[in-house]
Amino acid sequence: MNIQGKAKEQNTFDAIVVGSGVSGGWAAKELTEKGLRVLMLERGNHVEHVSGYRDMMKESWDFPHRGRVDKKAAEEYWAVKRSGYAANEENRFLFVKDTEHPYKEKRRFDWIRGYQTGGRSLMWGRQSYRWNERDFTANLEEGVGIDWPIRYSDLAPWYDYVEKFAGISGQKEGLDVLPDGQFQPPMEMTCVEKHFKSELEKNFPGRHLTIGRVAHLTQPTEEQTALGRGSCQFRNKCIRGCPYGAYFSTQSATLPAAKKTENLTLINDKIVYQVIYDDELGKATGVRAIDQNTKEEVEYFAKIIFLNASALNTAWIMMQSTSSRHPNGLGNASDQLGRNIMDHHLSSGASGQIEGFKDQYYYGNRPNGIYIPRFTNWGSDKRDFLRGFGYQGRAGRSRGIPVDATMGVEFKESLSMPGGWYMGIGGFGETLPDESNRMTLTDEKDQWGLPVIEFDAWWGENEQKMRVAMRDEAVAMLEAAGFTNVNGYKDEEKSPGIGIHEMGTARMGHEEKSSVLNKHNQVWGAPNVFVTDGAAMTSASCVNPSLTYMALTARAADFAVSEMKKGNL
Amino acid sequence: MNRRDALNRVAILMGGAVSAPTLMALLEGCTPAETGSKPFVLSDSQRDIVAQIADIIIPATDTPGAKEAGVGPFIETMIKDCYSDAQGAHFAKGLDEVSAKAKEMGGEFLSLSQEQQIEIVKAMEEAASTEKKEKEAKEVDTETGKEKEGSAADEPVTPFFNLMKELTLFGYFTSEIGATQELDYVPIPGRFDGCIPLKEGQKAYALS
Repeated sequence: MNIQGKAKEQNTFDAIVVGSGVSGGWAAKELTEKGLRVLMLERGNHVEHVSGYRDMMKESWDFPHRGRVDKKAAEEYWAVKRSGYAANEENRFLFVKDTEHPYKEKRRFDWIRGYQTGGRSLMWGRQSYRWNERDFTANLEEGVGIDWPIRYSDLAPWYDYVEKFAGISGQKEGLDVLPDGQFQPPMEMTCVEKHFKSELEKNFPGRHLTIGRVAHLTQPTEEQTALGRGSCQFRNKCIRGCPYGAYFSTQSATLPAAKKTENLTLINDKIVYQVIYDDELGKATGVRAIDQNTKEEVEYFAKIIFLNASALNTAWIMMQSTSSRHPNGLGNASDQLGRNIMDHHLSSGASGQIEGFKDQYYYGNRPNGIYIPRFTNWGSDKRDFLRGFGYQGRAGRSRGIPVDATMGVEFKESLSMPGGWYMGIGGFGETLPDESNRMTLTDEKDQWGLPVIEFDAWWGENEQKMRVAMRDEAVAMLEAAGFTNVNGYKDEEKSPGIGIHEMGTARMGHEEKSSVLNKHNQVWGAPNVFVTDGAAMTSASCVNPSLTYMALTARAADFAVSEMKKGNL
Repeated sequence: MNRRDALNRVAILMGGAVSAPTLMALLEGCTPAETGSKPFVLSDSQRDIVAQIADIIIPATDTPGAKEAGVGPFIETMIKDCYSDAQGAHFAKGLDEVSAKAKEMGGEFLSLSQEQQIEIVKAMEEAASTEKKEKEAKEVDTETGKEKEGSAADEPVTPFFNLMKELTLFGYFTSEIGATQELDYVPIPGRFDGCIPLKEGQKAYALS
């Protein structure tokens, strides 16, 4: 559809942000606060803050299957259910029905998606860690992939900036491997977590354990209170949406901030599939989208475009954006677009039980665990693999004490008693970039006539070796701390995607011939298009990535506006 | 929440009384519906038997038991919506066995004395344990001691009593009665105290 005159004017903005998740929300906030008129396009339906969180106040007995996945849901959410929790009855409404949004797997790929206002910022795990200096230099030092065009020092002030706004609860530790940030008060550890920390740090010098750093308010600032956000109430029902706005999401934080400027227009149901590129101008002029309900095509125009559709969908849009200057997809002179898919590999670790502590308990449901930062290939530690992993875990009490009775009064009463203590730690390992791990567009079309993605990615040899250490070190640390019945596991069924940390499909680099984006997240050959979601990542670190997307987005938005003011875009 | 922790929590909260198919169903959802399958439905008398057996496993004490907590209808819903047809048929067969045993004792299950009912349920428990052992034995080659290839049932079914018990416990402790009366239920804790002395008479927390 070609639109001219008044219609075109109505569809023209200073900037377009594609996607409304963690990074899209940040792009909208930053650009509107700098005075730009911003259009945010979201392919899914609208979910209003609080009133849209359908199940937030429901109890277990309000659900016919008490949370479990019934046969019908298992068919509809065939990929989502692989996560082990996302398809649960109380929160599946925030995830996509895979049958409505098909994709293909050359090798199994667990793509867990959320299409709605806020994207997956509503259901994310909220763990928020800074990268360290070596995360940015390891590729260069080890000759893996390509060098990052930025260093920790480029991002450090932006970490400060986003942490203050988002609100990160955590404990300063003074560790090089896990740089401290701007923290709100930390959450407490349980008695057995404290025990494990002291035993671990005694038995394994150089290893550390800290409370999880998590995007929850524990002491809201004035700025956060003014946006309507409150303190965490420790219900741990976060994944259904938070009525208190206590954890960071687009709805609780960046969207109200952007709306306050009166510069934001949010339009739902528009599936952006293409960036419109003008070969003569040498830059993009807008985007093309299809309405998910009416299937009508529509174009929007702007001087600046931010792609924040999530790593795989951002690459999908760019692959469909061909022109004379970009015959193989936007910014794809290097043929790296859609390659180097990374995720964090997990489901390797250990759990165990511990005697004692019977007269101790806790109160409340902490939406957070403990964290053991990477220790492999750090300092004097050397391994037969590169890089490393961190552990997330927790200790709590089970329910029920052992009795001989298997039914009846005594049995019933035994089940309501606080039981023994258990502790589990599971690794999150770094995945190396490998250009053979890729996505391609197939000839198959979805219900909107848009190409279906096929994935072909798997863990490499380095990840496989690391997974053994992830399990064995977990067993060793728990056993050394006096845990019994320690059960090490290494689940080989879990495929790339399962960490829900997709990255790398439009990586940043120094040169157009080996990367898709430059050091400012600008697309090579399309300087007014910025990519600041997981697609931009040149390597994966082992820490959860969202905080880094926030920092990259705020930094790129600042650069984009200053370039625009200089007349360079 | 930590993803692996979901598994730990589920296994532990089920008090160890959890079968592989149930754990799989809990974590990854049930197997998709077979095509052309008949929905699982109980007769009125079967419904009453299921509710009564649930109440034998979790009886009324100073708090209501499984029957009052609605565990009977819950079990039917779960088997219909969340389990394979093979599992549903196996469960129905177990109910037939309960009725047959009751006949041997002289009547309908529900007309028997409580002692007689308990005797039948215990016999079903024993039968479940035998069934499980037989299945395990079948899957291991007696000569080599190795697991026989393909011998693990393609559609693993849980013995009647075990499924009955799992779903009774799951249904009871996630019911309003079970969660709020038998356990310590705190809808909005408001804070987290990580390490505190256990109070006298403190019950375990209900899963939120």
